[in-house]
Amino acid sequence: MIWAVALALGTVIAAGTYLLLSRDLLRCLIGLVLFGNGINLLLFTGGRLTSSLPPIIDAGETALAVTANPLPQALVLTAIVISFALMCFSLVLALQIIQLAGSDDVARLRASEPPSQDGIKPALEEPS
Amino acid sequence: MISWLPPAEVFVRVLYAMLLFASLWILWRGQNAPGGGFIGGLMAVAASAAYALVFDAGSALRRLPLEPVRLAACGVLLALLSGLPALLNGLPYLTHRGVTLSFGVVELPVSTVILFDLGIYLCVWGVFGGYCLALVRAIEEES
Amino acid sequence: MLLSSGRIPAWKPTANPILGEPVSSITRDNHRRGCNPGLLLALVPAVLLALLMAALYVVPLPWRLTWPWVPSLGVEFALYVDGLSAQFLLLITGIGTMVFVYGAGYLAENPRRNRVFVLLLLFMAAMIGAVGSDNLLLLFVFWELTTVLSFLLIGVDHDQQASRKSAQQALLVTGSGGLFLLAGIILLGQIGGSYSLQTLLTQAPLLQEDSRLKAALTLIFIGAFCKSAQFPFHFWLPNAMSAPTPVSAYLHSATMVKLGIYLLARLDAAFSDLLFWQYALISTGTFTAVIAAIQTIRERDLKRILAWSTVATLGTLTMLIGLPGNSAALAVAVLFFAHALYKAPLFFVAGNLDHGVGTRAIDKLTGMRRYMPWTAIVALLAALSMAGLPLTFGFIAKGAIVHAKEQVDALQLVSYAAMFVNGVSVAVAAIAAIHIFWGRDRSPRQVQPHEVPVTMLLPPLILVVLGLLFGLVPTLVDPALGAAVHAMSPGFDITTVSESYEFLAVVKAMLGAILLGCVILLSWNRLDLLLRRVHRLHKIGPEAWYWRSLEFLPLLAARQTRLLQHGRLPYYLLTMIGAATLLILILLLAARPDWNWPDLQTLNAPVFGASLLIAAGALVAMFVRDHLVLLLVSGLVGYGCAVLFLFTGAPDVAFTQFAVETIFVVVVAAVLLRLRRTPLDMRAVSTEARLRPLALAVAIVFGASLTALVLLMSGLPFDSVLADFYGEQCL
Repeated sequence: MIWAVALALGTVIAAGTYLLLSRDLLRCLIGLVLFGNGINLLLFTGGRLTSSLPPIIDAGETALAVTANPLPQALVLTAIVISFALMCFSLVLALQIIQLAGSDDVARLRASEPPSQDGIKPALEEPS
Repeated sequence: MISWLPPAEVFVRVLYAMLLFASLWILWRGQNAPGGGFIGGLMAVAASAAYALVFDAGSALRRLPLEPVRLAACGVLLALLSGLPALLNGLPYLTHRGVTLSFGVVELPVSTVILFDLGIYLCVWGVFGGYCLALVRAIEEES
Repeated sequence: MLLSSGRIPAWKPTANPILGEPVSSITRDNHRRGCNPGLLLALVPAVLLALLMAALYVVPLPWRLTWPWVPSLGVEFALYVDGLSAQFLLLITGIGTMVFVYGAGYLAENPRRNRVFVLLLLFMAAMIGAVGSDNLLLLFVFWELTTVLSFLLIGVDHDQQASRKSAQQALLVTGSGGLFLLAGIILLGQIGGSYSLQTLLTQAPLLQEDSRLKAALTLIFIGAFCKSAQFPFHFWLPNAMSAPTPVSAYLHSATMVKLGIYLLARLDAAFSDLLFWQYALISTGTFTAVIAAIQTIRERDLKRILAWSTVATLGTLTMLIGLPGNSAALAVAVLFFAHALYKAPLFFVAGNLDHGVGTRAIDKLTGMRRYMPWTAIVALLAALSMAGLPLTFGFIAKGAIVHAKEQVDALQLVSYAAMFVNGVSVAVAAIAAIHIFWGRDRSPRQVQPHEVPVTMLLPPLILVVLGLLFGLVPTLVDPALGAAVHAMSPGFDITTVSESYEFLAVVKAMLGAILLGCVILLSWNRLDLLLRRVHRLHKIGPEAWYWRSLEFLPLLAARQTRLLQHGRLPYYLLTMIGAATLLILILLLAARPDWNWPDLQTLNAPVFGASLLIAAGALVAMFVRDHLVLLLVSGLVGYGCAVLFLFTGAPDVAFTQFAVETIFVVVVAAVLLRLRRTPLDMRAVSTEARLRPLALAVAIVFGASLTALVLLMSGLPFDSVLADFYGEQCL
């Protein structure tokens, strides 16, 4: 079981990384989503896949039976919410940048790091 | 378009009501089972988004109980207040207590958690609903 | 900066509570005639000297004072004054008094004299703190303060490039040495369990058993060698001579450069019987002395000649500390005193020549006796002591050194080296006293040389007369020296310095040195030429490396900036992810003995299906061109995760993931449809290569390493403390 999940996780992270390293801003964004999903899986499997029973105390019971580990669930839940908010924010940001710059090529989005004149930093090379 | 189906407007009105009802049910269910304020809130957001995509952002906005930011603020306030009763009993802030109400044959478990969850629900609906509607409005203005 | 604020005319003298009224009233740089701050300020060290001497007579050593300072770190403001500290305090305040009086005359016309005086005062305070502190960390703080003040004093003529460079060099060398010292101190504190010097000294036998002691001592050696100009960190001291002469005499001859020697002498009581200690100090000291003696011959500037001979003396002191035995400690104490008493006046002589003639080049200075008779007398008396002629304190110092070497059968090589160094110092003395002041003045001069004012004559005169007095009546200094020796070598209780050596042996050594000195003096120019021709060492010497590394630094920074700050987002991410991958891989490989791959368990169909869905979605996402399809595929991955959560006991997480994924896909799809209608000048999709091998390689390695991480993690025993805690708390 762990092998299947671990391999899936590795694939997601590899795909996320590959997309993140793209020059296309929207692909970077989707890459970030995949990356986040992969890290959530990592967190989740870190708490072991022990039981398929949810950690809920049934009525009348006084102790948690043998169930799944609740701790990574809490962490992953928080992580999903936060990454959702992050994605919403970055989406609007990316949209605005694309509108302003007229390009979705990150090699051309250099407003914060303009090509230097001092000969130390590299001058802007025209992206091929 | 398939003509014998009711128009999308009617369809989405029904969907809107059903989604909202479902969201409230999930919210209520969250006390003792999977579900809760966040998922319920997202359901409500989905309802608003569907409404806005068929009609327009403005009318979806009008169907919200409050202006989005105010809705979110109310939610946060409610969530914060829900932790206060515990202080009266000398318990740590945000400690929740539950009781079971009996209405003859029906027994309803009620706890202060529902107040907290309702706060979350309103907050999520306000923030993400507002976000989606603003995005849809921006698309409308574009075209 | 505090001191530059003195240029503002509206500056209120009372605005400086730290320095107090007498200092602040003269801090302004516009100097007024009639009010001589140097003379006024000389009262500070003079009063301190008087108080110190009175206290030494009344209160028996050692003195101990302690205030809590940083209690959480166990750092105390602890002062401890024993014989060694007292000797240094006497030198600091005594020479300090002379320096301030001398500075009053020497700096009278200098527009920056007030700055120099304030810095000198601060320096004196820092020195007093350094030699008085018992806590090693406190000592380090004062040590670095003297470094910073030395930097400011060397660079006081900050409009001169040479000054700035020398100041920077002194700061970089002694400052970085200070960092080594700090590391050594902390290590020593870790070994000994205390930062108190006295506690550490009493635990010496315990310390010697620790294997880390050599590392700690090496670090402390580097710090002390940097400060006291020992090879290979010696080159900064002669360059520091660009400071005004009173500063050179005070900091770079009499006091600050001896701080390293002080620290070594302090620790000598604990480690003098370690072979490592002896070899390191004897070899470094001897080598430094020889190198410095050779360099002395190559100089034509009197001040730099004196600086190199100071380095030679510091080397001799280091070597003496390394020698085991009680008489070596005595030699160290006597040489401390003697050197301050003859070298400071010689520096003052160099300053007088600068002032009265306008040059310090020995080629242009002959027959100055006619113009500057008093300076000539000072030079002669100081030189007698430096050459170690009988009836001077220098003779006694020489006697103690000879005796120390006899006691321990020092290596033959060390003896020859010492003889050469002595010969050179005799030659230097002869140059200072005879070559410059006797004979005829043959150099053409535009201005008639003149004698200097009395403020510049009295201090060196007092010092040389004291030297003579102590030479004639050594019993005068016996108590001070005895206490100092006792601090360095607790078992030693000799009280009479004059009886500690054999007269004949010293005279023999002295005659040999004088003979050699005369030869060196007569062949000075020829030796210089010879050395210039043969001596190519300066191209590979430590100073060359210093300059090379200084030039290399900005080059490295530029190259590194070019390499890293290129402004290309994908490569920034590549760097970060690559570094993270490397880190994970290193950690995984380091944990190799604990590797425990999990078994292939029986397949759980829903989990397997979910994993398949996730992996398939991810694989397709990598190579899809269209944005909308990419979005849908990424949604597939999200739903796959949700299914996985659902079947592994996390329905809450699963529902949340479902809801989030749905809304996200809907919203982004709306945005993408809108973007499709927006014309873009340049689409990245059309310019990007279809397959990016580097990115693909990094992505695969990163993904694989995380997979391995998860698999190996699951093989480790599970610690359920946190999970159980929450399980209990949720009731």
